Amino acid sequence: MSWLPCGIYHEYYKQDHRWWQTRFVWGKMILLFIVVYYLFPQYAGLYWIGVANIIGYTVLGAMGVQLLIGYCGQITLGHAAFIAVGAYVCALGMLMFHLPYIVSLLIAAFAAGIWSVLFGLPSAKVKGFYLIMTTMAAQFITVDFILTQYVSRIGGRGVAFSLPPGTIKVGPLVIDNDVRVYYLMVVLVTLCTLAMANLLRSRVGRAWIAIRDNDIAAEALGVNIVKYKLLAFFVAGVLGGVAGAFWISNLAALSPEHFMWSWSLWLVGVILIGGVGSIHGIFFGSMFMVLVLEALKFAIVPLAPIFPQLQMKFLFLKEAAFGLAICLFLIYEPNGMAYRWWQIKNYFNLWPFSY
Amino acid sequence: MKKSGWKLLGMALILTLAFSPAWAAEVIKVGAINDMTGGTCDVGKDYALGIAEAIAYVNDAGGVNGKKIKLFQFDYGYRIPEAVTIYKRLRDYDKVIAVLGWGTGDTEALSPTVTKDKMPYVSASYSAHLTDPKKTPYNLFFSCDYSTNARGCITAWYEEIWLKDPKYKARRQRGDKPRFVCFYSWPTPYSSAPIKAIKDQAKILGFEIGPDQDVSLTALDTKSQVLAAKKFKPDLVWHGNTTMSVATALKDSYALGLGAWHISNNWGFDKNLVKLAGPAAENAIGAVPCAFFGEKGPRFMPKIVEYAKKLNPGIPEKDRLIRTVQAWGDVLLLWEAMKRADKAGKLTGEGIKEAFETLRNFDLGIGAPPVTFTPTDHRPTSIAQMYIIKNGKFKFLKRIDFKKRYPEKWEKEWLGW
Repeated sequence: MSWLPCGIYHEYYKQDHRWWQTRFVWGKMILLFIVVYYLFPQYAGLYWIGVANIIGYTVLGAMGVQLLIGYCGQITLGHAAFIAVGAYVCALGMLMFHLPYIVSLLIAAFAAGIWSVLFGLPSAKVKGFYLIMTTMAAQFITVDFILTQYVSRIGGRGVAFSLPPGTIKVGPLVIDNDVRVYYLMVVLVTLCTLAMANLLRSRVGRAWIAIRDNDIAAEALGVNIVKYKLLAFFVAGVLGGVAGAFWISNLAALSPEHFMWSWSLWLVGVILIGGVGSIHGIFFGSMFMVLVLEALKFAIVPLAPIFPQLQMKFLFLKEAAFGLAICLFLIYEPNGMAYRWWQIKNYFNLWPFSY
Repeated sequence: MKKSGWKLLGMALILTLAFSPAWAAEVIKVGAINDMTGGTCDVGKDYALGIAEAIAYVNDAGGVNGKKIKLFQFDYGYRIPEAVTIYKRLRDYDKVIAVLGWGTGDTEALSPTVTKDKMPYVSASYSAHLTDPKKTPYNLFFSCDYSTNARGCITAWYEEIWLKDPKYKARRQRGDKPRFVCFYSWPTPYSSAPIKAIKDQAKILGFEIGPDQDVSLTALDTKSQVLAAKKFKPDLVWHGNTTMSVATALKDSYALGLGAWHISNNWGFDKNLVKLAGPAAENAIGAVPCAFFGEKGPRFMPKIVEYAKKLNPGIPEKDRLIRTVQAWGDVLLLWEAMKRADKAGKLTGEGIKEAFETLRNFDLGIGAPPVTFTPTDHRPTSIAQMYIIKNGKFKFLKRIDFKKRYPEKWEKEWLGW
């Protein structure tokens, strides 16, 4: 193995398919690993760790949306429903059956996957805008009807569940502060990313991409469209379930208000900004959506004493800036931030002989 | 984007980061999480304005024993994940010592976290679930809680209308039970919080209870719920939502001839109800936590009106709501607790909570019943105040002290729900 891609020859298909082919890439990845697992939690301070946890939650949530929209071409506007199913199943598993958190998380992910398949069934028949309607139905049936009217009343708890301290444990470790939540988040994000990235280059992933690009052609090539679409819904649901199960560890409380339709829409915004059809896009989009809000807060706090009206009269600016950001991205960066990242990377990779 | 655009963006980012300085030492930092653009902004914006005005007043009046309060106020647009990041920012970055929160969404979601962090969280959610110091020691508020409000409303109607109105004389003599249903948004913690309590009170008073009707907070049409309730022929309807939704339900009840009296929780009962529902709001009874904006009498009212005019001259006085006064209530309460904590030399989250627990029959001066906190009971008051709308004006109806009336139940049974 050499440092630079120049001079690497592959003898087997397997070699060609390796993720990290040069020492340089290995070095980068080890550096990333050290930063994410050691330097950041060590030195960033609790506030940034809290922000990172929200970014991680958004990443886990958006992953399923990216899979459905970006890779399988099935537009979804109801993903918060599956996150909610994951969160509720995980919480109920721990509160009512006293399961360990990890077992509960796995059951929650599976339940959310099955639930997602149920609402993915119409995708066998309908496409595009009509599919948006059926996924929206998933949102309202699941969150506004089933969860709020029935599930959240289980055990006489009223609408909001709250988990007593010390409920969420991984082995002997109680997940009770932001640093531990951060580690849980990082591990979950890493595992989910690895799973998704590997799935996408397998037979299944290629079938999804074929369906996205042209479903009739895919069918002519022998892809079982219904099966693979439902599989996509299942995997997306599982990822959503993991996101939901993570969310309760972050907050120790749970109510249907956390999974409103606007959150589904938000997740679609994440992948539009980050880049549709890209795993990097999920991360860039999530960071953008969370960090822009934080940056606006940093802008408002020092300016507020000078312009007191900023806090009240120009609040719409924040919402407007957001809409504007999405518009600008669609106009100037239709491929999202991931494409820009790819270009930057290529520039350095090809330097100084880019042409 | 062009290259210069990226540069500008980068510079703006660096500048904003560079300009977030550390504040001077003798400043007390208080955070506020408000909804000014989201789902509950119909009542949330006025409350947020009130918070800023009240803090300005507190600083002009000498602050906390000479220390000024620096307010960090943020809008979270009723998005719970954003409320969580704001809370963490307030806690870890701005390092505030207390938070003025908003509704049920953020308060209940953050309740386990604030307990763990020992962060006093003074909310605009008056849910009785937040009053048991064993479970939620750091959730505090100034007003009579929702459950006591609900008990107050139903009792006031029973005593002032059912027992006195000649219309019901024949039925009373026959031994008929008054019939009662609840209209509220099932999924919303604010709306569903007092339902158990009001049904308990209805049983104590001997009501016949009908099926609950689910009315969303943003309902524009409640005809199906009113028609479903009409089959039960209720004499009294409880409205557990905020003003907009209550107004819709009142109008539909009026149009469909439900023929029942209406009682409402405090966030569904203000000037806007009369404006929105018109004649349908006539005779509606509601719980009122403090004096209405501009009402004569309470000690602080001239200041409240003065600061509203001074800080937000663009909003006409007639458009200001009781929500401003409620915001003042929470700020004045926190102010008093911080002064006491500071005097005791313990201006920390724990110290402020302990200072709250030294308040005994403390009058806030905004027309609210005096508040008392003890280490075992965080219900601020046992007195519910009810008003009735007559000719489009709010008229005082009744004040009920539940501790006096049901001492046994109040002490032992009713804490925390």
